[in-house]
Amino acid sequence: MQAFRYLRPSTVEEALALLEEHGDKARLLAGGTDLVIELRNRWRTPEVVIDLKGIEELRPSIRVEGGRLVISAATVMADLERDPVVAERFPALAEAAAVVGSVQIRNRATLVGNICNGSPAADTTPPLLVYGAEMVIASPKGRRRLSIDEFVLGPGKVALGPGEMVVAIELPMDRTIAAAYTRLTRRHGTDLASITLCCGVDASGTTRVAYGSVGPRAWLVVDDTGVLADPAASREAKAPVLAALFAKATPSKTSMRAGPEYRAAMLPVLGARALNTAIERLGRTA
Amino acid sequence: MKDQGVGARAQRIGGVGRVTGGQRYVADIPLADMLHAKLVTLDCAHARILSIDTSAAIALPGVHFVMTPDDLPKPMPRFGPEYQDRPVMADGETKYHGEAVAAVVADTKDIAEEAALLVKVEYEVLPAIHTLEEALAPGAELVQDPAIRRPGPHIASNILSEYRFGWGDVDAAAADADIVVENTYDWPSQTQFAIEPHGFIAAPDGDGIAVWSSIQHPYQLQKTVAKVLGIPMAKVRVFAPDPGGGFGGKQHTKLEPLVAFMAVRAGQPVRLILTLEEAFQAVRSTGARMRVRTGIKADGTLVFQDFVNEFLVGCYGDTGDRVSAKGSFLSAGPYRTPAVRIVSRAVLSHTTPTHPMRGFGIPQVTWARESNLDEAAIAAGVDRLEIRLKNLVKYGEEHVPGDTPADGDWAQTVRKAAEEIGWGTPVPPGRGRGIAIGLKSGPTTGLSYSTVRFLADCSAIVFSGTSDMGQGARTIYAQIVAEELGIPLDSVSVVMGDTAVVPYDQQTSASRSSVLMGNAVLNACRDIQRKLKARMADMEGIEEAAISVDRGVMRLPGGEEALPAVLKKVLGRMGGEIVGNGEARKDALPEHPLGGTALFFEFNCTAIEAEVDEETGETDILRHVTVGDVGLALNPIQVTGQDEGAAVMGVGLSLMEHLIWGDDGRTRNLGAIDYRIPTSLDLPRELHSFSVENGDGPGPYGVKGISEGSLLCTAPAVAAAVRDATGAVIRDLPLSPERVWRALQERP
Repeated sequence: MQAFRYLRPSTVEEALALLEEHGDKARLLAGGTDLVIELRNRWRTPEVVIDLKGIEELRPSIRVEGGRLVISAATVMADLERDPVVAERFPALAEAAAVVGSVQIRNRATLVGNICNGSPAADTTPPLLVYGAEMVIASPKGRRRLSIDEFVLGPGKVALGPGEMVVAIELPMDRTIAAAYTRLTRRHGTDLASITLCCGVDASGTTRVAYGSVGPRAWLVVDDTGVLADPAASREAKAPVLAALFAKATPSKTSMRAGPEYRAAMLPVLGARALNTAIERLGRTA
Repeated sequence: MKDQGVGARAQRIGGVGRVTGGQRYVADIPLADMLHAKLVTLDCAHARILSIDTSAAIALPGVHFVMTPDDLPKPMPRFGPEYQDRPVMADGETKYHGEAVAAVVADTKDIAEEAALLVKVEYEVLPAIHTLEEALAPGAELVQDPAIRRPGPHIASNILSEYRFGWGDVDAAAADADIVVENTYDWPSQTQFAIEPHGFIAAPDGDGIAVWSSIQHPYQLQKTVAKVLGIPMAKVRVFAPDPGGGFGGKQHTKLEPLVAFMAVRAGQPVRLILTLEEAFQAVRSTGARMRVRTGIKADGTLVFQDFVNEFLVGCYGDTGDRVSAKGSFLSAGPYRTPAVRIVSRAVLSHTTPTHPMRGFGIPQVTWARESNLDEAAIAAGVDRLEIRLKNLVKYGEEHVPGDTPADGDWAQTVRKAAEEIGWGTPVPPGRGRGIAIGLKSGPTTGLSYSTVRFLADCSAIVFSGTSDMGQGARTIYAQIVAEELGIPLDSVSVVMGDTAVVPYDQQTSASRSSVLMGNAVLNACRDIQRKLKARMADMEGIEEAAISVDRGVMRLPGGEEALPAVLKKVLGRMGGEIVGNGEARKDALPEHPLGGTALFFEFNCTAIEAEVDEETGETDILRHVTVGDVGLALNPIQVTGQDEGAAVMGVGLSLMEHLIWGDDGRTRNLGAIDYRIPTSLDLPRELHSFSVENGDGPGPYGVKGISEGSLLCTAPAVAAAVRDATGAVIRDLPLSPERVWRALQERP
């Protein structure tokens, strides 16, 4: 690891000032579960590391504000796994958070960090896409909101300008989307997913499917025909509709985690399973 | 004493330290003025080194020097357990991905790492041979310069060595077979994956050198370092702190000679701790391809077995010859087969040097034999358990003519496994069962010495050159001493891992230590008992013949006396101690194909019940039964621990583990992210380990070695269960969900 300056601001404003001062020589640190590995392997050699954990506003917090669930930037996966509101309203997010890394990682890794890291295989991206999450972004000019679908760009890339940082993720609570998360891995324990997939259905019959690890970013696709969400529709009727949703998948031809044919074949398998769980969950909320 | 001697479920000595962080590994040992080393490697497999520019690295503050081949003796010193072909560092050419071309020595690890990136190496990438096909193709480039090869018929090829074993006439016998099944089976290259990566320290020590290494065979390391440095063995002191796992990957010398040269140059201690990624590049196990032809009568009676086994070893001889020979020698298994033909080749490639891994080549060959036997049984319509029992040799019967005959009631083991899996009872829908047998020769030669000091306060110190890498050897020896000297277990200390203090032990491998070192410790105790007896006879004025000692108790004409009381009497007011020396050996037999018969066999039967998710190809092991013939469980907890550990490792090797090489010969999955081993969530739903104990082993009180048994035949048992459940036939490993899914698509 190369030496760097470690700074620990106590307000968002101070952090933004430091970001402005040091520009791309600085990296933000929350859980550190990605950054520390990058530092140790010298994939990144920042001169300044700005630790966000001393900022009161960003302290771990999951709260309901104005019909939205607000998840602060220092909230870790373990917090999401345990939160009763997340469990009840956003179970797919809890499911995704619960499979990130290991227990030790989940005690450190933040939701915001998982998204800002920009990994196409990030477990929490698909449920956030399905639930219609928004990123709350702070800069010296003030705050803006951006849907996660616009925020996530590609491998390691997110729509964050110079001097900007994400302070929270918000989930709308004014509509009910019953969703389920599943993924494909090489083993049951800690693993990076070869497919991440979330499926959500709502009372209007709309089905939202988000899937990752099979392209440069996780994609959100929507089925408005009502066929998928219909508990009475046959498996045969759903199959072509479901298959069409995965047209955007471009699984890697060279990945050693899973071959492209296998990933392509597993998308509808996982999709159908998550869809069934989502429909069951919607039935329970009705 | 029974609660702490032989057969006691004694708590592991050193166990608490291992799980609380108290144990000091090589990385934890503090030495004054320690310097730190980092290897310079290339991101390619096979390359010609054109130049090495160290100037920028040396200019970095805190860097002491950069060691390059120019700083080593000429010609490049080479070493190895069987072949003297491994250079101290890459000699003008890298032969595998990760071979050190230079090494930085600096004040701190961070500085050394940074400086290593500043060493500029100009090199030309060369094609790398990393498959059997490439290595054996006519006109293939020779991985090794024939000048450093041992002369022989294969010197102009990449075949390191070739063996032909067998008996009877396979070609003639083939006419008698009703059913002949022939298939090819593949076993991937894997890594031993000790949780503690390899670590080394060397330090000037008077007019000699001290070397610390996380190593299984410290006495072989002592000899190698002495030879490479050109100093007497007495001037090389090897400290071998208990390794954090070994599994074969820590058997032999690797980077210790380089670190020793650097310490000599520095005049200070130098430490090199490998990262997990570097540990993957330091050693691996041998992948293999086996073509098997099995001929049976319609009733399942074996007529012949015919094997061609090819082991893909690394770029240096290492132990490749031995793994190929010993792995293949028992290809035909524990069965009565009239005709057997075995060809075994070790084949060189531009890949990571290969050490044995738990099982020593046997799991590879067992995978092929047991799978093919199943295919023959299915073709004949014979039950898969019955075909095994029908052909299994009986107690005392030879399975390989001229070798040690069956040393256990093996049918008892097989029947127990069958009973515990419910063989013959209806299989629930969607599930399948498999059963397989593994057989491995224990050591074919061995030599262990031990010293036991019985101190004046009736405590005892055992000196043993075994490496306790987690198998629990310390506990076993303490239990033997407690039993023989009649003292509590917690008053026994076990000293290991210092070649200047502890007498010679050949090696810690082949599940030998409870038997060979166990006998040495037992004999050292008996030496103490003899001395006590002689002294008592003298003091009491009676004949020695009138006195006997049995497990901690002395019987005198006037009655019994516990050994501690005897010791007090014998030592008297002057005190002192009684020192006992013990030896155990298994002599070589030069005319035997393996240089010696098996001291004992590890015999295991594994039975699996599994379920397969037919949509995703995921295999779920619902019940895993392993039964081993252990002779006697000196410590039942440790026997179960070793057996379960080997079973779990076998599950990993069967379901998920494989090294992946790119076309350029680079190892693509270096480290834990993409080389997966099982976690607690990947274990069988139920794992049941059973021991057959007939007290018929050659070790103390009838023990046999047991630490590899349950790994030997896991893969064929799991694959058989998958086939039984789904009809999918798989002949290469691992049984990853993707591979099973593919086999399901291709199902007839």
